[in-house]
Amino acid sequence: MTGHGENGTMIEMIKVTKTYPPDVKALSDVSLSITTGEMFFLIGMSGAGKTTLLKLLCNMETPSNGLIEVAGKDIHRVKGRHLARLRQKIGVAYQDFKLLTDRTVAENVAISMEVSYKKPQLIKKRVKDLLEQLALSDKHNTVTGELSRGEQQRVALARAVANSPTLILVDEPTGNLDAGTTEKVMQLLTKCNNSGATVVIATHDHSIYRNTHHRIMELRYGKLHLVREGMVS
Amino acid sequence: MSFWFAVLRQAGRNLRQTWPSQFMTLLTVSLSVLIFAFFFLVYNNMLNVGDKLGDDLRLIVYLEEEPGPEMQAQLKRKILAFDEVDEIRFISKTDAYQRFSEQLGENRDVLDDMPQDFLPASVEVVPLKNLSSLSQVKNFSDYLSKLPGTIKVQYGQDWIERFYYFTRLLSIIVLLSGGLLILTSVFMVSYTIRLTILGRQAELELLKLVGATNNYIRTPFLLEGLLQGLIGSTAGILSLYGLFHWVELKFAGPGILSIFEFTFFHPQTVVTIIAISIVLCAVGSYSSMQKFLRI
Ligand SMILES: Nc1ncnc2c1ncn2[C@@H]1O[C@H](COP(=O)(O)OP(=O)(O)O)[C@@H](O)[C@H]1O
Ligand SMILES: [Mg+2]
Repeated sequence: MTGHGENGTMIEMIKVTKTYPPDVKALSDVSLSITTGEMFFLIGMSGAGKTTLLKLLCNMETPSNGLIEVAGKDIHRVKGRHLARLRQKIGVAYQDFKLLTDRTVAENVAISMEVSYKKPQLIKKRVKDLLEQLALSDKHNTVTGELSRGEQQRVALARAVANSPTLILVDEPTGNLDAGTTEKVMQLLTKCNNSGATVVIATHDHSIYRNTHHRIMELRYGKLHLVREGMVS
Repeated sequence: MSFWFAVLRQAGRNLRQTWPSQFMTLLTVSLSVLIFAFFFLVYNNMLNVGDKLGDDLRLIVYLEEEPGPEMQAQLKRKILAFDEVDEIRFISKTDAYQRFSEQLGENRDVLDDMPQDFLPASVEVVPLKNLSSLSQVKNFSDYLSKLPGTIKVQYGQDWIERFYYFTRLLSIIVLLSGGLLILTSVFMVSYTIRLTILGRQAELELLKLVGATNNYIRTPFLLEGLLQGLIGSTAGILSLYGLFHWVELKFAGPGILSIFEFTFFHPQTVVTIIAISIVLCAVGSYSSMQKFLRI
């Protein structure tokens, strides 16, 4: 992610439309730019298109129309090795978690670091550290299929941030959590943001953006509306 | 270094998860290498035997009368028109008489009353020492017997010809079992790897999402294919060697096998067979992998 300093643009979406076959318009003419280092809240009720927008940003879906640049690269043009390298720098906590249910918590979190060939000792330390922050230390060697949904959600988040990505996309990170754990999750995300990562949070849980000073935008029927401008740059 | 660490870790996980089918593949590969190598070995030895038989092989064309120099040249041209040969030798009536009397040795006085030209003149044709020219020895003999002025053609024994038919049949079997080897190793390996891929689709998809390069995903499977080729073919060759050794011990001493000296493959041939198996297995795993990575 070179050439994107403090005030560079991490995400640039211009007139992006996504239509699922046969005729479901999930996003229409969405334009959005997110600055490097920003924390950004994307809200909207269920079915508004939040997940679709995040999937477009990590190249899991392709837009029907429009341009999407991440870190200055047209993410749907990048191929092969370059796409892999770009994805290593994007941490995603999926709404459906995408955990390997027959592997332990530690193995699941480690995957994102393994693919960028981090040293085993470093991986071990980082995994332990993250699980501590998310109150999952006692689940270190538990197979993720045996966890509650709230626990699985935090494992997915830990995996998303483990490799210290420069862009973190989280989809409904607190859907299954109580207030206390929600607080821990937000602390971790804020910590990542403070150390320079751009963080995009899609949520319909107003408890986590109610008191924030960051920018909030809302998706309504596939269209993007500004709710509140960020207070701090 | 950490790349190879990651590759070995992944390959280990694959093995732990799918070792029964991996083992079946290994068995299939070694069995097909064994079958192919067995026929190839027999064929090779038959060729050696054929070489030895071929050393003595010659066609003798008996002529009605002594050929003059012009006739000799004509005959030579006619013979060469059929096939290239190693040697053409003209034996005149007196030469034949001479030879015969030498063969009789002490008993040569029985010839005293015979005229020096009672034996017919002949042409000795020594065919080239390769399988294709040797295998048509019958055709050659038919051709020669139709040349003007020939009485009859003699060559070795009938079984020489049968032997060459057998070798030809064997060469077909070698080709077939070679084809079998190619099919089984490529398809079995690609099939097991496809099984592994299907069993771990979720993981492989996730690996792509978290930014694993194609090499990170592919190399463990490729390594698996290579190992299957290496171990499978080595096991196949080793068991053939064991079999060979057993037969050698069992049938040592005077017997049918001691007429022909049976030999095992050259080390080079062994290395070549193993190398080809490795390549085939790698191709199998690579093709499966490519199909998956393109999706
Ligand atoms: N793979 C898909 N195929 C068809 N329609 C889809 C698909 N994914 C999402 N949709 C539709 O697109 C719209 C937006 O969905 P989504 O982005 O998941 O919303 P949100 O995450 O805000 O709840 C919904 O109407 C949903 O039914
Ligand atoms: Mg959603």
